[in-house]
Amino acid sequence: MLKREKPKERFSYDPKKVLQQLERFGKKVLEEIAAGRNPFIDVPTRGLSNVYFDERDRLIKMGDKTSRRYLFHVAHARKFMQTLLIAAYIKRLVGEGKHASLREAYYANKHTILGSKENTFEDQSESDPVIEDLERMFGVLREEMHITADRRGYIYGNVVIRDGEDEFNASKLGMGGWAVPGTVEHIEFPEINVDYVLVVETAAMADRLIEEKYPKKEKALVVATQGQASRGVRRLIHRLHYEEGLPIIVFTDGDPYGWYIYSTIKQGSINLAYLSEKLATPEAKFVGMAMDDIRKYGLENVTEKLKGIPPNKKGGPTGDYKRIIEEMNYPWFQSKEWQRQLKLALKWGVRIEQQALANKSLEFVAKEYLPEKIGKEELLP
Amino acid sequence: MANSEADKLFKEFKIQSVSEFFRRNAAMLGYTGKLRSFTTLIHEAVTNSLDACEEAGILPYVRVEIEELDTEHYKIIVEDNGPGIPEKFIAHVFGKMLAGTKAHRNIQSRGQQGIGISGAVMFAQITSGKATRVITSTGGEEIIEAWVGIDVEKNEGKIFKKIKHSNPTGWRGTRIEMEVKDVRYIRSKQGPYWYLKLTAIVNPHAHIEFIEPDGKLIVFSRSSEEVPEPPEEMKPHPKGIMTDDIYRMTKRTTRTTVRTFLIGEFSRISDKKIDELVQYITALRLIKGEEEQSVKEQLLKRLVNGEVDKIIASFGKSGKKVLREVRKIMEKPPRKLTWHEAEEIVEAFKYMTFLAPPTHGLRPIGDENIEKGLTGILRPEFVTAVTRAPKVYRGGIPFQVEVGLAFGGELSSGLDLLRYANRVPLLFDAGSCVITSAARNIDWKRYRVDDVDRTPLALLVNVVSVHVPYTSTGKQSVASEEEIYEEIRLAVMEVARRLAKYLGGKHRKLYQVKRRKTFEKYVPEVSRALSILTGISEGEIEEMLVTIIEKKFESIEEQAVGAESNA
Repeated sequence: MLKREKPKERFSYDPKKVLQQLERFGKKVLEEIAAGRNPFIDVPTRGLSNVYFDERDRLIKMGDKTSRRYLFHVAHARKFMQTLLIAAYIKRLVGEGKHASLREAYYANKHTILGSKENTFEDQSESDPVIEDLERMFGVLREEMHITADRRGYIYGNVVIRDGEDEFNASKLGMGGWAVPGTVEHIEFPEINVDYVLVVETAAMADRLIEEKYPKKEKALVVATQGQASRGVRRLIHRLHYEEGLPIIVFTDGDPYGWYIYSTIKQGSINLAYLSEKLATPEAKFVGMAMDDIRKYGLENVTEKLKGIPPNKKGGPTGDYKRIIEEMNYPWFQSKEWQRQLKLALKWGVRIEQQALANKSLEFVAKEYLPEKIGKEELLP
Repeated sequence: MANSEADKLFKEFKIQSVSEFFRRNAAMLGYTGKLRSFTTLIHEAVTNSLDACEEAGILPYVRVEIEELDTEHYKIIVEDNGPGIPEKFIAHVFGKMLAGTKAHRNIQSRGQQGIGISGAVMFAQITSGKATRVITSTGGEEIIEAWVGIDVEKNEGKIFKKIKHSNPTGWRGTRIEMEVKDVRYIRSKQGPYWYLKLTAIVNPHAHIEFIEPDGKLIVFSRSSEEVPEPPEEMKPHPKGIMTDDIYRMTKRTTRTTVRTFLIGEFSRISDKKIDELVQYITALRLIKGEEEQSVKEQLLKRLVNGEVDKIIASFGKSGKKVLREVRKIMEKPPRKLTWHEAEEIVEAFKYMTFLAPPTHGLRPIGDENIEKGLTGILRPEFVTAVTRAPKVYRGGIPFQVEVGLAFGGELSSGLDLLRYANRVPLLFDAGSCVITSAARNIDWKRYRVDDVDRTPLALLVNVVSVHVPYTSTGKQSVASEEEIYEEIRLAVMEVARRLAKYLGGKHRKLYQVKRRKTFEKYVPEVSRALSILTGISEGEIEEMLVTIIEKKFESIEEQAVGAESNA
């Protein structure tokens, strides 16, 4: 049976750390200016060219390429100014213990530059990348800099959560569970009474499991991602695994989209490669839906056809087929088991949803499917 | 003083009979269409004034006034401060066709056919039936007021009425008033306004005033105090002559033999050249008598190589005989020269070599004056001009090309091509003009002008020659002679290069100013942010940043100055 393990990381949230980093950064720029030199900042390069898969840590990581941004350079000046503006804003934010959304950060810093018709930021698409740049530069999450992400997802299970001054049990908040906030850095878990975390793609499935009292019977903490996992949820999963030693099991639809959700939880994403070490959980395992489940549980009648053109047809592959072929090439899907699942999907041209299990009976998933697979550890890596 | 000059000038009048000719060929002389006729009228009157002033060494003051009397019915008044016209010449000046002072002379002039002002008088007479009123004085005791017309049958100027006034103030000049019909005043690029503007540009020594029919006064002020030297007569060069020219000249000359006529009336012909000419004519006659085509061609080839002696010798006795005949031509009176003989002379000239024609008779406007004119009238931001060295086309006709270029300032967008021949604006037939084709051939993108249609540019081209090769008698476009085309192209490229250099410097400067502004703009923002991050005061940081900018641009300017002095 899956059991809680010894934690590998400690609760590490400390706003002072971010403040110190910001001050160090400011001092470095000031030193250049005082020396009469053109001040610059080094920003790790974004994009695929600076991303790689670390085989040892099994994580998508950011390379060490940086680009230097000068104040007195026509092409850099504006970006330089914007970076400093946001850095100063974050310093105030963290110092005052306030949080702001991306949009609030944009509006708070948008104003007309004196003596011109130019705004410091014309659009949120200008301020968002600057915040990402600061994350990369300092190696901290924007949540740690008190800039909150969109919130999505909830949890249900017998754990006690401390959120600032509030403390509550996440299995006693009603069927809706506890909504995961944009920032989970400050969240603490004084009490953990579960053996593992079950990450579920759809809210409908999570609700089904809660109604069937699955969390209580199986001593599981159910995390509903509601589609692609938000940063908050991914960070929460990471922390539950590393700080609380809980095994992570992922349950998604049996289609390329579901498998990709698993992929980002496990290895991180290319966009947020620089944060993989804080967001990803390479030890996560996959319970379903797998292609083999279709035969094993006799679900042939409730599959759906894949969208797009198969690779052997004219104009193909497109749609789902194309996506599956891309996933087959991911380094972390190279295991025999995964290649088999993906090949089967291509061969049969079908996908299988979590809720297709309701074809057996409503309780089937909570009483047979999951307990059986997890109990026998029939999990994909 | 002015009086004697004027007398001398008008001594050269010669009379030719073409009054009837005008009636039938009005269109050919520029009197075609309601707008063009109007422009031609103004052109004839103003040219008359400017030429007269120039030849008398007077800084011209010309005033043009147009009154609208009725629909397509106008009164044109042109007044100048020129030398005035002596009483006895008034009828000649205004009444005789081809009575100009230059028609028969080989001289660079504004008008070339000499039909000039008398054509205008004729036009007025035909359309309105009114005589032209002339008020003139040479600055002496009296002012003469005369009503002039043309007796078409007799081809004579006719003074209908003449009044003498005393001249207590010593006024000098000429004022003509003519009434015309069947013309229309339009302020277009082919109308009188544009004509006068273009005239003012190339005559910076002239002060031109213009009152439009609606009473609006336009002044094109003088921007140069220097009266151009009057053109000199140039004897024609043998390479640029045609049979008809020789034939006509023989009928007028006072020389007694063809030999002295050729030596005296042409440039670059000496006594020795006449002996050579005799040999070439002989050789050509002999070669023409040869029946075998291949032999003929071979001999002509040898003639081109200058083997004239050997060719004549090869014909033996008959050669000597023809030589004697040809020698006789040179000794007979010019009047007796036949058309065929004139033809032979012109053909022989083609095989002979002569010194290049003299160019002292050409009177370019001069690059400085073009620059002054363009600056004074168009008020551009940048101006440059180039006057090329004289060249020869068709082997013997000297010509010279001048090009001016104005950019920016009060110019409107697009390229304005200002065409001139001997300082006369060419407003019509632009499409067939060599100036247009040569100027169009320029790839402006190579000269930092990315979009010609949106760049404020004016390009002035003046073709100067004793004999401008017009495409038609309307004299509004220059024929496409290869040498002229090439000279225009080279001159335009030269001014375009100068423009590119100017724009280059301007862009560089503008770029630096813009760069600096960009940096300075962000200084307060950066200072405030850095102050929050580090706790150092905003003012202190700002001061340090401004110092860096100052230092940076100082060194850039030094580099730029260094680079330019090296170049």
